[in-house]
Amino acid sequence: MATANQVRFDALLSKGDLIETPSEMTPEYLKELKHTLTVSGDTELISAPAYYLAAQRAPSVNAFMTGIAIIQDELAHAHIAYHILEELGDDEETLIFERDPKSFRYPYAFDVPLESWTELAIANAMYDQAGFCLLGDIHEACSYGPWKRGLVKVMAEENFHLRNGQSWMKKISKAGGEAKSELQRNVDWMFPLTVEWFGLPDNLKMHSTQLEYRLKGKTNDELRQWWLSVVVPFCESIGVKVPAHREGDAYVLDYPFPSTFDAENKHWDFNDPCSWDDVLERWRARGPRNAEMVADFQESYYKLRKSRAS
Amino acid sequence: MSSLTERCWAALAEVQDPEMPISLVDLGLIYKLEVEEGLVKVELTFTAMGCPAYEMILEDVRARLLAEPGIEHVLVKVVWDPPWSSERLTPEGREALEMWGLAV
Repeated sequence: MATANQVRFDALLSKGDLIETPSEMTPEYLKELKHTLTVSGDTELISAPAYYLAAQRAPSVNAFMTGIAIIQDELAHAHIAYHILEELGDDEETLIFERDPKSFRYPYAFDVPLESWTELAIANAMYDQAGFCLLGDIHEACSYGPWKRGLVKVMAEENFHLRNGQSWMKKISKAGGEAKSELQRNVDWMFPLTVEWFGLPDNLKMHSTQLEYRLKGKTNDELRQWWLSVVVPFCESIGVKVPAHREGDAYVLDYPFPSTFDAENKHWDFNDPCSWDDVLERWRARGPRNAEMVADFQESYYKLRKSRAS
Repeated sequence: MSSLTERCWAALAEVQDPEMPISLVDLGLIYKLEVEEGLVKVELTFTAMGCPAYEMILEDVRARLLAEPGIEHVLVKVVWDPPWSSERLTPEGREALEMWGLAV
């Protein structure tokens, strides 16, 4: 028999009302909400060291300032997610500093090093666009009030990142020559990696608790289509080729999805289609920079704690 | 004030700060605007010297003014004196920032 709490929760959810406090949640909802927030916080947090490597290669002082401001935004966005997790009973310090690198939950793409300003521009235009779609959907649909409201400013700041990415991609493409070739080479590996970001296709994903609890509103394929509908026309408008095209109302990929990715060489082998099990295994094993990036912020924390203790 | 000068001010009132929903004019960044035969000279400042949107704002100002019929050249001078402060916000700008959740 359903408990009184369960009945109240079901009523709130089916009416489309917002849930405001842990006392209104069921344990299953709380668990799913925490998981979704952790993915969001981890993704924003890890984008900071991922972007920083490339931001150091900024072509001007102004560009460097913009890069650093974007990183500052991402850290603030991470803090919003971890702060809400604290209100739900978790501890922000433990989450950031005491977890094993492999237990961080963020898209595999960030594990592949971004080593140039060109790669950062593409990341701002593609990875941040993915973040924009995912968070925009949560902002629109989320049943948890405090998170929904916290995302208002996040969305506006993501716009700034998109603008930086798109305007630099445009400039680099316009420059032509080797600059444009480098842009194209990097889009070639970064585009499919972002397509993968949205996860399993809907026909393989039987059931989504996140949708059921209105923690998000769109399915993986709907979010992927949204992303494609922005990124494909943009790339085409600046003369950059991407392996996807429009057919009727939807975008279709021009390569087997999923395919095999060689992270060391930043290379996709489209002649070697693989299964989603292979992809999930690659994701679980994490990529080249995972341990190093987590160590980046964890090491100083432990050093400080040790020096305080002695 | 000639109508072209008025149109240039109105054009800049359409240019938004890339980080906040407020126009450059309401933010009080535009110090001076003069038009001489197709050339518009603008003096503007930023809220901070390390403004992350520095290039974007300059690009937007140039692009918007060049889109104005009768304007062929744009000369932008960045000035730091007097330094920007929230005193320079217009009442509309103040309201926009308060709506946005910034105490000013």
